[in-house]
Amino acid sequence: MVATVLTLKYRVVRHQLMREWWRALLLVGGAVWSLSLIPAAFWMQRMLSLEVADVRSQILVGAAAVCILGWIVVPLLVTGLEDTLDPGRFAIFGVSARSIMPGLTIAAALTVPALFFIAVFMILAGSWRYDGSGVVALAVVGSLLTVALMALGARVAVAWSTRALRSRRTRAIALVTVVASLGAVAPAGFIVLRAGIESAASYELPVVLEWLGRTPVGAGMVAPEALASGDAWGAAWRVAMMVAAVWILHRAWQDNVAYTLVHPLHRGGGAQRRSDAVLAGAARRTLWGPLGSDSATRAVRARALLYWATDPRYLVGSVGVVALPLVFFGLVVPMLDLDPRWAFGAPVILAASIGWGRHNDVAYDSSALWMDVVAGRIGRQVMAARTQAVLVWALPAVGLAALAILAWSRLWEVAPGLIGACVGALGATLGISAVTSVVLPYRAPGPGENPFGAEVGSVGASLVAQLISGAAMFAILPLVTAPFVLALAVDARWGWVALVTGVVLGVAACVAGVRVAGSWYDRRSGRLLAGVS
Amino acid sequence: MPSPPPAPASALSLRGLHKRFGATVAVAGIDLEIPTHSFYGVVGPNGAGKTTTLSMATGLLEPDAGGVLVHGVDLWREPAAAKPMLGVLPDGLHTFDRLTGAELISYAGLLRGMDRDVVRERRDDLLAALDLRQAGSTLVTDFSAGMTKKIALACALVHAPRVLVLDEPFEAVDPVSAGAIRRILQSFVASGGTVVLSSHVMALVERLCDHVAVVGGGRVLAAGAIDEVRAGQDLEDRFVGLVGDVADSRDLAWLRQS
Repeated sequence: MVATVLTLKYRVVRHQLMREWWRALLLVGGAVWSLSLIPAAFWMQRMLSLEVADVRSQILVGAAAVCILGWIVVPLLVTGLEDTLDPGRFAIFGVSARSIMPGLTIAAALTVPALFFIAVFMILAGSWRYDGSGVVALAVVGSLLTVALMALGARVAVAWSTRALRSRRTRAIALVTVVASLGAVAPAGFIVLRAGIESAASYELPVVLEWLGRTPVGAGMVAPEALASGDAWGAAWRVAMMVAAVWILHRAWQDNVAYTLVHPLHRGGGAQRRSDAVLAGAARRTLWGPLGSDSATRAVRARALLYWATDPRYLVGSVGVVALPLVFFGLVVPMLDLDPRWAFGAPVILAASIGWGRHNDVAYDSSALWMDVVAGRIGRQVMAARTQAVLVWALPAVGLAALAILAWSRLWEVAPGLIGACVGALGATLGISAVTSVVLPYRAPGPGENPFGAEVGSVGASLVAQLISGAAMFAILPLVTAPFVLALAVDARWGWVALVTGVVLGVAACVAGVRVAGSWYDRRSGRLLAGVS
Repeated sequence: MPSPPPAPASALSLRGLHKRFGATVAVAGIDLEIPTHSFYGVVGPNGAGKTTTLSMATGLLEPDAGGVLVHGVDLWREPAAAKPMLGVLPDGLHTFDRLTGAELISYAGLLRGMDRDVVRERRDDLLAALDLRQAGSTLVTDFSAGMTKKIALACALVHAPRVLVLDEPFEAVDPVSAGAIRRILQSFVASGGTVVLSSHVMALVERLCDHVAVVGGGRVLAAGAIDEVRAGQDLEDRFVGLVGDVADSRDLAWLRQS
């Protein structure tokens, strides 16, 4: 069965790459890029081997912790997890989870990222070479177990998150947990880094790393040091704990595979809605005035708002945009010991990441694009309504973030400039995203598909659209934020200029973007469906 | 050379439609005149190009070459005038499955610029006529395949189009609902409307349609009034004669239970 599963995977990938050859280029590019980092790993091995044993193990624990966090967070918030062997696809063959697990496990180890991390951690294990072959052997075992923890941790995190998003109750719990943990990043960052990065590196960090070395996160990295210092028992229990952790994660993954085989993902959980939310939503026209009075606009806006409230793919997307400003405020500002005024960047980043996050909106919302296409030339209405649905939650979210930063800094005099910069950033990025989502759509997980799913090479496939929309964003953002920077750095009166320029340019860019996108939508309607499916 | 004007009685004119996907030619020049007030069947083997043709005929897929006229209006040049005349039921495409059945019909009606009160009234009529009242408050994602088909048909009907283009409308639909759909479509044609449907079920096409086109390999193999196409044969026999039988009908002896 192992050979069957592996053959299946590589055949599917091969066919996919033959059908879309550019994916192969991206895959090869990724592999070459990974290989180019190998010399850096050897350099790091050399540097580490010159350190004393306990410093070496602490650095390795830090590296392992960051990598494990990355393996769990990146698929959930950014890239999704490659799903060629999505267990749900085995359901029709009547196989058991136990019979396909060995194949799935080996396939998970034979991906480009997993092989790269195995190679890097094996190279780093070589930094113990002056402590004897027994220690090196243990370092190799510890490294393999740590990488196994990463790969399995990612699988289990994605599987559990997918399950959590299936029902309304668990979805709410999951959202609260994610928002709370993201919210904890900022204060935690400030507490740890309040006396500057050097103080944190000297006092708090070693304590944290020492504790992590007693958990499965860092035990695989500390075990060689324990053996080298003659603490065989310390090495033994750490390896035993790692083995147990890997076994538990593997069992948890198997449990999720078994669950997936008999619980198809697309079911809506039997939810019922007696009232017609589309008709009711379409009745609300006052908020948008002449912009939203059209029947098609109101219909699309009402439907898009329903999707923002209920579709797991949208919930995942909306949580993802909060991460960057929180990391900026909680980690980047204190770590680089930046002036507190830099913190005003956080709500602006939030506004820009919400807007830029919609750069593939048409593909994301394409499940019944055909209904919009067959209804006539309604591109402008469709694009305006989608943007309005984002504004319904984005304006309060950005407003709250701005208010929180103002309350934290007590620099209320910069409020007008901050509002201008936020509105400008949101409007400009939404305008750019409206255009790129029509001109450069790329395939997104469909409704009912795993919201964390991704095809081989899809990360690169999105790269062109992301680069172009990102470049456009970076070109236009200075226009709407420059007066605000002057308000912070030169004279607070610039804030009023920032308010006027931000609001005027933001609204203008948003309206212009939506109009251009709408006419392209109509012009490309016969190709859009092929572009997103 | 300018294309000839459409026959005045044509509800839908397909002119030299071509479509290629990479190395695969899906449609290799399809011409069809579908008369107004006709019940027109499009039949063909799997992969014959039926869905691609109907997608191009309804504005869902841009043809590489060729044109489509809806009651004389060029669909690809004047979509704002042509599309309101069409009601479309595509095959194999998703719907907005986070909406309830009732909401999906309302959405389709509002997209067509209809008044909300009219949408509400027609939505309730369609839910009753298609035996979907219970499904009106259920999310489309929880629908069976047949229910999804029926709700998509309701969306195609809500704006009372002049031409209905339906890709496999009876697929997965139970016999009782199929009877209701047949009655709705027959009464639509009797009142002057035009229905174009694709199907694999020859008996159904023979029973419902007055015209038929047999499509194979991306081309029209035969088209016209159903009696002309049948040429005195059973439609299924004529179909097999036109597209060819399975080349290798080997006996699966290992499947026999005794």
